[in-house]
Amino acid sequence: MFKILFVFLISMTSAFGQMDFCNKDLETFPVQAGGREKPLYVFANETIRFMTGSEKVGEYSATEAFCKLSLKAFGMPVELPIMVKVDHVDVRKVLGMQEDQTSIPVKELESKADLITSELSQLKENNSFKKELTRVESRLNTYRAIINARAWSVPVKTENKIEFITIGEFLTESRVASAKDKGSNPVSFLFAESKADYLALKGDQYLLELKYYKWNLFNWALISTLLSIILFVAMKNKIPGTVFILLTIGLQITAITLRVMISGRAPITNMYETVMFSGFGGLVISCVIYFMRKEIMFILAGLACNLLGLMMMKFANGMLDEGISPLVPVLRDNFWLSTHVSTIILSYAALALSWLLANALLIKGRFSTVSSAEYRYQVDLIYTCIKVGVVLLAAGVILGGVWADYSWGRFWGWDPKETWSLIVLLIYMAILHGKYTSWIPPKRFVLMVAGAFMSVMMAWFGVNYILASGLHSYGFSEGGAIFLGTFFLIQTLILIIASIKTSKEA
Amino acid sequence: MNTLISSYRKVELFFGNLKFAVIIILLFAVSLGYGTFMESYHGTEYANRLIYKSFWFMGIQFGMFLSILFATLIRLPPKKHLYGFYVIHSGLIILFIGSFITYQSGVDGTITLTPNLPARNIQVNEDELRIQFPSKGKEVTVDLPFTAFKKDLNYEYEGITLKTFLPFSENKQDWIPIKIEDGTQSSSRYRIFTPNFGEFVTLSLHPQSDFSNTQQMGPLNVHYMPASLAECFAQNTPDGLIVWNAETSGCLAPLKKDLKKKKGISGQEMIEVEFSGQKVQFLPGMSPLPLDDKMNLSENSPFRIFSKKLFEKSPHLFLFGKHAAFFDKEKNEWGSQKFEIGEEVSLPWMGFKIRLLEHRTDAYPTMLPRYVKPVQENGQVISGDIKAVEVSIGDQTFWVKSGEPIAFNQNGERITFELGKKALLLPYELVLDQFKMDTDPGTNNPASYESFVTLFKGNDGSTKHHVFMNNPLKHQNFTFYQASYFQTNEGPFGSVLSVNFDPGRFWKYLGSIFLVLGSIWHFVLRKKTVVKPGETRV
Repeated sequence: MFKILFVFLISMTSAFGQMDFCNKDLETFPVQAGGREKPLYVFANETIRFMTGSEKVGEYSATEAFCKLSLKAFGMPVELPIMVKVDHVDVRKVLGMQEDQTSIPVKELESKADLITSELSQLKENNSFKKELTRVESRLNTYRAIINARAWSVPVKTENKIEFITIGEFLTESRVASAKDKGSNPVSFLFAESKADYLALKGDQYLLELKYYKWNLFNWALISTLLSIILFVAMKNKIPGTVFILLTIGLQITAITLRVMISGRAPITNMYETVMFSGFGGLVISCVIYFMRKEIMFILAGLACNLLGLMMMKFANGMLDEGISPLVPVLRDNFWLSTHVSTIILSYAALALSWLLANALLIKGRFSTVSSAEYRYQVDLIYTCIKVGVVLLAAGVILGGVWADYSWGRFWGWDPKETWSLIVLLIYMAILHGKYTSWIPPKRFVLMVAGAFMSVMMAWFGVNYILASGLHSYGFSEGGAIFLGTFFLIQTLILIIASIKTSKEA
Repeated sequence: MNTLISSYRKVELFFGNLKFAVIIILLFAVSLGYGTFMESYHGTEYANRLIYKSFWFMGIQFGMFLSILFATLIRLPPKKHLYGFYVIHSGLIILFIGSFITYQSGVDGTITLTPNLPARNIQVNEDELRIQFPSKGKEVTVDLPFTAFKKDLNYEYEGITLKTFLPFSENKQDWIPIKIEDGTQSSSRYRIFTPNFGEFVTLSLHPQSDFSNTQQMGPLNVHYMPASLAECFAQNTPDGLIVWNAETSGCLAPLKKDLKKKKGISGQEMIEVEFSGQKVQFLPGMSPLPLDDKMNLSENSPFRIFSKKLFEKSPHLFLFGKHAAFFDKEKNEWGSQKFEIGEEVSLPWMGFKIRLLEHRTDAYPTMLPRYVKPVQENGQVISGDIKAVEVSIGDQTFWVKSGEPIAFNQNGERITFELGKKALLLPYELVLDQFKMDTDPGTNNPASYESFVTLFKGNDGSTKHHVFMNNPLKHQNFTFYQASYFQTNEGPFGSVLSVNFDPGRFWKYLGSIFLVLGSIWHFVLRKKTVVKPGETRV
């Protein structure tokens, strides 16, 4: 049916060039995908990036490539160099690729579809190989959905209501024929009409997402954070650094607000958002503590915390998915969930400050001498952060109980995520209690605080990436296990290096 | 008196000591960490049985309680700089008391609602074995221990002995010796496989075996038959008929000369076969049973007939222990192959092969539960989720498994056994009018689960309620939450609500408030900081 349409289209217009409606105008076109309405630009970028790992296909932008691929369904002879991303070395071997070859032409992958299916049916254990193979299969399926005009749905007005139908159902022969006289390009006209109908009935709220994606505010915040750190370290005058802190905070508040407006919920419902919120939270908490105790170290730790968060958001795409998708039912309209998670994340941010300060002191103590008065002072700074962190964490754990009671009717259910947040609290409690005994003198205290943050990382990422079970399964995704393992390894090395010196001194 | 005070002081010093606090906190944290890993590998119930609801874990929590209590008592009378500390610790003590009240008298269960059927049973997470004597109108229930491991019960009641309880088990195949062996009730184990795929198949002719004599593997039908029939299947006769005697297991593949064809009543083709000197008549198009003298179908006769033609269109594999027979479409004939244990035979369908692994006539295979640690994958328990109790009556021993009630006859009296969750009866009834699931637009992802229920309160009439996520139904101290759903055989969805009664709730909230306020007081409001070297405190 589609092919006939193409012949029909060709017969209507003399030049193929005139038919090219896959242009920049489509970026703002509203589509429905994955249960949400968003601009085509965002959906095309997410999809092309998921398939290929890049946001461009040859010379074409994601939107253009996406649109052109969809035309294949109508028989248009479109050939785009789509290279499907393959991350796992063993998967590459199975697909007959070189070990260092990171992607495979989609045509070649298409010929190996049966191989993937039979390989998947034989794999019992759900290991990283199987997961990546499943992902490759789903990348291929995404490609198939696009070229069969099933991947995206476009708005149509029916009785003063907007309904969504797939692009294949939209560009029917009769619809195109009826638009024949409405201008040089009937398909462009249909898209424009569809968009106008949508705007008239639903407004242009969805275009916020386009701004959010195009402005890249978090990248600018990353640069601003870096500049602020450099200025604070390099210059005696604190004003330039402060200006950049204010700029960073402003950028992040704008970005987070936009995200809240787009998704219509608190920005703490998946890993990406918790990292986004915690980095920012760390910076804000450090500023608050700075006003309580005028000490620039807090600000530096807060900036470093924000920098780490922003870098994770930028570079750890395999682990953190920045897409905005609908929530599972239990997380919707939930005041207690929002307060619980944000309190916990803020407490992790405060504990991250203590961890940064502790590690800084450990490294400083290893490579230069720190006077005992200075050491005592630094320990007290760390202690201040822990106090804030512990109060927030205790409140957060309890709010978690309130949420569970509200949603499930039980205050405490030994769910792994709940349990690990309690473990973190207990570990810091043990350290704080031990601080008053002879067991934990100041030097050991610093070592322990640096090490204790590993429990935070376990509760934050480990439960999702390593334990992956229980009521919190909505947050589980892969790729984080390596990140976490590397973190534990580096932290342990720092502890060993620092404690060798400590034991010599002792 | 003085000795009493001094021994109290010793107790106070021991439990109120900071070092004891550090040890017990760490012990608690380590057990919790262990618990989360056990839960991840073996599932929630295993973790609950092994750790969270175990006696030793209660002990650690009691240790925490003592530590908190005595740490507070030892610091009395009140000192001003410790006010925050007192509030935190009283909060914790109240929390512990609240949790203990919940543990002692709270209810945490589920109620399963099938559409339009009244329900009042709350299932709680404890197991019991119900033994019923219908003729006496009597029922005995035995509570089963909340343990993670195999446990001897040694419980006796009127000649019934409950021997062992397995909280987690898997059915494993076992061979039970046959007391009087006649060679006809054979059983075999095979592997049927292609280069990409394979399955173990156990088949048995023994009536008490858990394994049947047929099995379906995708499009392939496997039939297991007495060994004596093998030779008849191997023969290619024009009519493709086989006659056999179930008593002697003898068979005949009649050739043209052995058959007499007649027109029977109602136009059906009737045939007469001479089988070991006896003449038997059949209507093969109608029934495998032979006809008696009055031309009626005779169920008591040991003779049967069937036509191999019925099994030529789709793949059917006939197994006779050490023989296999099948119709080869390419050659258009029936073939038969003999194989010994360990040998394999090629089948005419898409590279399928079959290997004989075991063949026995002295024992029959059955499934017996064996204790295993459960295994969890992707949030689902994939092995070990069968609970079982070993029961013996007289010289007979058998297993009662969860979800499979068993009836037993003892001297003509019927006794039934059922292993299941303990149930509480509500004084009112709930009826599910409708379960509704909305999806995210354009996808199949659930966006909301909703149950529309009617609550029948006996003489007080009924009320309609709408239960969905974060909007529970509250009635007489019980709260009903939307928890899960299932599809009934008839089509519409049923709903599962979790049911909760928590008398400790007030204390837990009170303790929580104390704890949070105390923490703020102690850690944030109390300013005691170290002055930066080179600066003086203002």
